[in-house]
Amino acid sequence: MFQLTDTKKTAIEGRMNCFVRTVAIIGIFLVALPETSACATGWRLSQAAAQAAQDAQHQDAQVPAATATEQQAQPAQQTPPVSARKDASHENTGDGTPATVIDDRDAEGILGKNVYSAANEDMGRVVDVIVKRTGEVRAAVIDFGGFLGVGNRTIAVDWSALRFPTSGPMDHIILELTRDQVRLAPEYKPGEPLVVLGLGDVQLHPETPAPEH
Amino acid sequence: MQLVALRRAPPSPSRNSLHGLDWFVFFLADAQVGFGPLIAVYLTAEKWTQGDIGLVLTIGGLVALIGQMPGGALVDAARSERVVAAFAVIALAASAFMFAAWPVFAVVLAAKVLHSAASCILGPAIGAISLGLVGHAALGDRFGRNARFASLGAGFAALGMGTIGYLVSNRAVFFVTVALCVPTLLALRMIRAGEVDAERAHGGRAAPHKGHPEEPLWSLAHNRPLMIFAGCLMLFHLANAAMLPLTASVVTMRSSDSAAPLVAACILVPQVVVAALAPWVGRQSVRLGRRPLLLLGFGALSVRGALLALVSSPYTLVAVQVLDGISATVLAVLVPLIIADVTRGTGHFNLAQGAVGSAVGIGASLSPMIAGYTTDQYGSAVAFFGLAALATIGFVSVLLLMPETGKGPSGPVTEVLRKGATS
Repeated sequence: MFQLTDTKKTAIEGRMNCFVRTVAIIGIFLVALPETSACATGWRLSQAAAQAAQDAQHQDAQVPAATATEQQAQPAQQTPPVSARKDASHENTGDGTPATVIDDRDAEGILGKNVYSAANEDMGRVVDVIVKRTGEVRAAVIDFGGFLGVGNRTIAVDWSALRFPTSGPMDHIILELTRDQVRLAPEYKPGEPLVVLGLGDVQLHPETPAPEH
Repeated sequence: MQLVALRRAPPSPSRNSLHGLDWFVFFLADAQVGFGPLIAVYLTAEKWTQGDIGLVLTIGGLVALIGQMPGGALVDAARSERVVAAFAVIALAASAFMFAAWPVFAVVLAAKVLHSAASCILGPAIGAISLGLVGHAALGDRFGRNARFASLGAGFAALGMGTIGYLVSNRAVFFVTVALCVPTLLALRMIRAGEVDAERAHGGRAAPHKGHPEEPLWSLAHNRPLMIFAGCLMLFHLANAAMLPLTASVVTMRSSDSAAPLVAACILVPQVVVAALAPWVGRQSVRLGRRPLLLLGFGALSVRGALLALVSSPYTLVAVQVLDGISATVLAVLVPLIIADVTRGTGHFNLAQGAVGSAVGIGASLSPMIAGYTTDQYGSAVAFFGLAALATIGFVSVLLLMPETGKGPSGPVTEVLRKGATS
């Protein structure tokens, strides 16, 4: 008798499990499908927004008087941003915050970008950028080698050993070193003296331009 | 007591249920591969800073550590292990989807925590479903099978996801993981609910003992063999966890053109060995007892550490990974088996799995720190020797302290039960 009720219970439970699971699976897919497309749309939207912002910037540049009046209304914001300091010395004649407009095809963030050797070998990704106190960009830290995230090594390479594509997308950064040179380098460790793998130490010609693709 | 159990409810799992469990273990191992070290690579590509990645992984690791015992207790308390497992698999799918869809800090942190929590439940749940399905007597063979299918799953997934990550994108790997949760749930569905005896799945008395209340939770702390075993396992993982990453790092450093395939081989060779050996280990665990096999596993780890320190050719390093396979096989089969042995009749099998899981987690998370520090200061050879020394301490601990849990007074009965269950 005890067993009978037990089986009944489990049978009901089984049916419920089945139902709950089916609902969950359907739910996940219903959520998944529109979300992926929504993501793509969202991305496009954000691109469009960026474009619009850029256009607006262009307009602002053409009408400096408007910007100046706006800035005078908000004197608290007059400190120029640190990143724009260099340009500011040339352009900051009035009270306004100077700004430089750069085409988004000419400048891009570098974190996470793929790095290849001149012979088109996979050299990993840029995971960090090392800057000296003087503001000079000294080295890029690349995450090199491994499989599925196992066995990779982070290595600092000289900034001047990097070549950026002169045209097309910025995703193909070229490192003027070979895998053989990089693999033996000591690992980059934050908080320890930096070993920067550079062009000076190896028999390479820094003048050699990167092959263009 | 075992004889009472035999009379009352002889476990008679159907072929369907057994195959369902095979595939459940297979696809679950598949799905878990995507959550491994690949996460760091993926987030790097998504312009995450190393600090943020480290923070998310650390928090996830802590949740995985703290959640072990509550996860086990939850499985012990569950009326149906299948329902609990199903919810955990759905949580896994949701987590993978969150990773893929919104790689921003808050979402990724939530996804990582969700994944850790789900894993804390799924680990014990596999043991619980196995035990509930086949009973203590046939458990050695069952865990042998589980280990085979888990490593086949992990091996295929590592190959497949490595290829997808390389050819398509790392993000695609997470969508594949979401998709893999569907066959996982279907396989879980194949296991018949009526055949998973909840009482048995918790390592409890199969017969209701009136006037014998369940043993209190803290009785586990007085379970001497369990505590010794947890300590030995902590030492094992203290030695083991950093060994593969360190090996892979050395391979990357030594080999110029074929580093990635060699590292892949370092990962896959042990999986192949586990898949080949696990059923044999499962059988021998009944014939020879648990202790000799456990010593084999710890011994293989010490020898491996020593060899890795001495060997320099990357190809030989890959060959040494066969030893990794041997110790991985022994551990995969014997850890749940010995826990089931020592918690027999307590009703706290899964809580004990969680407790041992915590010990393993502590060992595994301290291991990279020790290895990393030693490598920085003295080089990788010394680090390998150090890890080998830790493994040797574990070996000696098993030799001196660990009792045989599979034989003894209940040995012959177990043998009879096993034959009855498999015929």
